[in-house]
Amino acid sequence: MISRTKAAYAYIVARTKVMKSRLLKGEDFRKLLNMSFDEIVRFLEETEYRKEIDEIGYRYSGPRLLDYALASNLAKTYRKILQVSFGDAKILIREYLKRWDVWNIINIIRGKNAGVQPELMEETIVPAGEFSEEYLKSLMVKEMDEIVKEMEGTPYYEALSKIGSVPMNVVEDEMYKAYYRKIVEMPAREFETKLFVNFIKMEIDIRNIKTILRLKIDGASTEEILERIIPGGYELTEDEARKLAAMSFDEISKSLEGYWFWKEVENVTEELSEIEVNFDKAWISAIARRASNYPLSVLPVLQYMVLKKVEVDNLRILGWGKYYGLPNDEIERQMVII
Amino acid sequence: MVDALISDEAFIKGCAAVGAGLAVGLAGIGAGAGESGIGAAAVGAIAEDRGFLGLGLLFTVIPETIVIFGLVISFILMFAYG
Repeated sequence: MISRTKAAYAYIVARTKVMKSRLLKGEDFRKLLNMSFDEIVRFLEETEYRKEIDEIGYRYSGPRLLDYALASNLAKTYRKILQVSFGDAKILIREYLKRWDVWNIINIIRGKNAGVQPELMEETIVPAGEFSEEYLKSLMVKEMDEIVKEMEGTPYYEALSKIGSVPMNVVEDEMYKAYYRKIVEMPAREFETKLFVNFIKMEIDIRNIKTILRLKIDGASTEEILERIIPGGYELTEDEARKLAAMSFDEISKSLEGYWFWKEVENVTEELSEIEVNFDKAWISAIARRASNYPLSVLPVLQYMVLKKVEVDNLRILGWGKYYGLPNDEIERQMVII
Repeated sequence: MVDALISDEAFIKGCAAVGAGLAVGLAGIGAGAGESGIGAAAVGAIAEDRGFLGLGLLFTVIPETIVIFGLVISFILMFAYG
């Protein structure tokens, strides 16, 4: 039984390691920075994104083509990982991917609120979670109350039932809280599950500290910050978050010493994009360390999934930045280049 | 009672045969357990990139060397006491 579990992880980890070797490297991004938008698209046609760009190329052009192609490729990659995994690894990966259900439902609701056509909503969805593309498309043509009713029985129903009575950002926060709560409360009997839960808890830490710093810069009150904190962090527990939220920005940056992410983000500045990028880099280095410590676990797979998302986000920033003629150093500052 | 049924020589030969069997059998089980993980990883890598076929096969058969040790031990036992 033990060797069967290990064999399941060995298979999926080896597959994702090969897939990881095909990700764009730091030097590729630096090369892309010196290209025009059309040259970037041509470069991507020689990579993993070729099929998506070819398929959608006749319908879209410009950064919208890139956006749609990147989202499709991301969803395809995630679905493939889920399909080829088995055993405990599959269960954990499925749980991880449910975040895309939250993303998709939020996008559909935002679209509905803004009166956007279903065709436009399709561009933003990443059908990698539990809800299939067809199901999501069927939701797009429904009325808001019908969508909420459809979600009955899911962990997101409670949050969605508040639509109309609270601002939309509160509903979105509640949905993510429901997603994270379900994972954090998972019974971690096996060691692999424990590793997965800790990974998610560390991700919550990163999300929370980014939220605290961002809202501090915006001048939000302690209560406003605490409302947006996701419970269940690894080191940044609710009590710790409460303490940090009550401090000034300078005090917070001094108090962060000792947290697991401290070493990577020693100099926290009040520049929002720098905070985002630095904490993302800290997160990526932490995952890399943990994935190499536990090679036969779900961590190397999750590492690849995070890196793939970072690559897609980088390409999106690059595409839009180049299309609108932003200077190279400004685009580079927004990207997470490892 | 045993003395009456089996001679010392036959008893030693029997034990050597059982030992030889165990040497090959247990080494085989050990190699199989080792190969399960390597084989799974090799198949995973080959599924993504055919270029790993040669290397994957090579790594998969490395635990087989343990079976060779078992086989050598069994030959020694059989030649010495068989």
